[in-house]
Amino acid sequence: MRRKNLCLAWLALHLFFIAAISVRQLSWLIANGLTIIPFSRVASESPNEKASSTTAKPASSNPAKQLLVGYLHCAGIEGAYGFFAPNVPENYKLAFEFHNQDASSEYDLPSVDSRAAELRLGSLLDVIGRSDSERYRRILIRMLTSAAWENHPEAVSVHAVFGKLKLPGPMQFERGVTPSYEFIAAYDFERSADSKSK
Amino acid sequence: MSILRIGLGVQILLYVFSLRSDWNYLLGGTGRGLISRELTEALLSLESSIIPRFGWFISLAKQFGVDETIVLSLGWYLLALGAIFLLIGLYSRVAAVAVWFLYLCSVKSGGPISYGVDALTTTGLFYLMLSPLPDKFSLDHIWRKKFTDWKFLGFWRRALQLHLCLIYFFSGLTKALGRDWWNGINLWRSLIRPPFDLIPADILVRFKYLFPVAGIAVLALEITYPVCIWIPKLRRPWLIAILLMHVGIGLAMGMYLFALIMIVLNLAAFGPEILWHKNVSAEHFTSEVAAPAA
Repeated sequence: MRRKNLCLAWLALHLFFIAAISVRQLSWLIANGLTIIPFSRVASESPNEKASSTTAKPASSNPAKQLLVGYLHCAGIEGAYGFFAPNVPENYKLAFEFHNQDASSEYDLPSVDSRAAELRLGSLLDVIGRSDSERYRRILIRMLTSAAWENHPEAVSVHAVFGKLKLPGPMQFERGVTPSYEFIAAYDFERSADSKSK
Repeated sequence: MSILRIGLGVQILLYVFSLRSDWNYLLGGTGRGLISRELTEALLSLESSIIPRFGWFISLAKQFGVDETIVLSLGWYLLALGAIFLLIGLYSRVAAVAVWFLYLCSVKSGGPISYGVDALTTTGLFYLMLSPLPDKFSLDHIWRKKFTDWKFLGFWRRALQLHLCLIYFFSGLTKALGRDWWNGINLWRSLIRPPFDLIPADILVRFKYLFPVAGIAVLALEITYPVCIWIPKLRRPWLIAILLMHVGIGLAMGMYLFALIMIVLNLAAFGPEILWHKNVSAEHFTSEVAAPAA
């Protein structure tokens, strides 16, 4: 009997966590004007909330909180379930222009071998694009640049351009509108004696 | 639980083999991989230090002069081996715990390269690990004559059923709050968005008038799932429609692993009761858990 009650209590708590995380995410989407529900973005938005939406959560020295967050991750319930919702995310792109010492240039994109890894690379670019932290975005782009640099050992500097692909709607597509590229940010890295980029 | 065990065995095997050539590159440390595993694990530590990660083993191995590539490769082989054991049902409990742990390590060490399929697979493995094992179709049961107390089987199935109801409800509700799910634009965008653009846009555009209907059908199917899956006359068509939706997502967008995990979770939760009319869940749950609580 005691085991059954414990199981039921655990299940109630487990389902509560799932629902609470989903409601929190939904509230954040509404508060940030990302849904059809009209909501004053300026009045509702807290910078701390906004930052915590896409970047790492602040460190917690509270062992109970660490345990709880650890449990959520271990059960796979740390995130909300909004697959392609409320809207399909932007299609982010990263392109590299490597400059060699002889003034020639080579162009490249972040690349992986398999389709499964390609889906994961797309997820990474989404994270970079959605990030509110310029520092985090720059670090990730620098890492992707370093990985691509392996294929261009002669290059001395690189210009990394991050942007998004604007996809036409079906009616626009019929009228001949093609996907367009929208610039978001550019970064320059140079090879130095002790490190690849600065 | 046989469906969950076998399905997750297949899922993990497909996961490891689909990433075979990129495994070390995706999980490599600074200067060795696509992004730095050290960075993602440092960010993970900000959230909680108890979340499993490959970094623990890599740090330990370094003390013995073992390179990180060897640890990562060993992780890949152990995950593949665990998935095979899970698939055939040999040492089911140990395999389920090991696969859950190694899968979590790979996902958490990967950080921003993970996506929805990873959370759902972790959830499936989490329930499997805690469920009564071995099941009656496992080699443990058939060959090693290992028996377990199945009285809590219904409880774990009910947990999975309720979890699925929450997943679909919130997924449908969030879609319903997006303007472009009502006019079909989101469905169109998801199908032409690289790398999901398996079907050429000039073929898709011929069906442009179907997109609003299909978009509304998707969100309606999801948002009403927690209700319709329990109504005797509706549960069978609802489950079949959801399964077909996932088959469609898998084929049209190339999200094979995502489609497979959702099909496995749905079949494990509702398949025996609805598709095979086997009232396992009700028998065990009612007699062992629900009745005393009621």
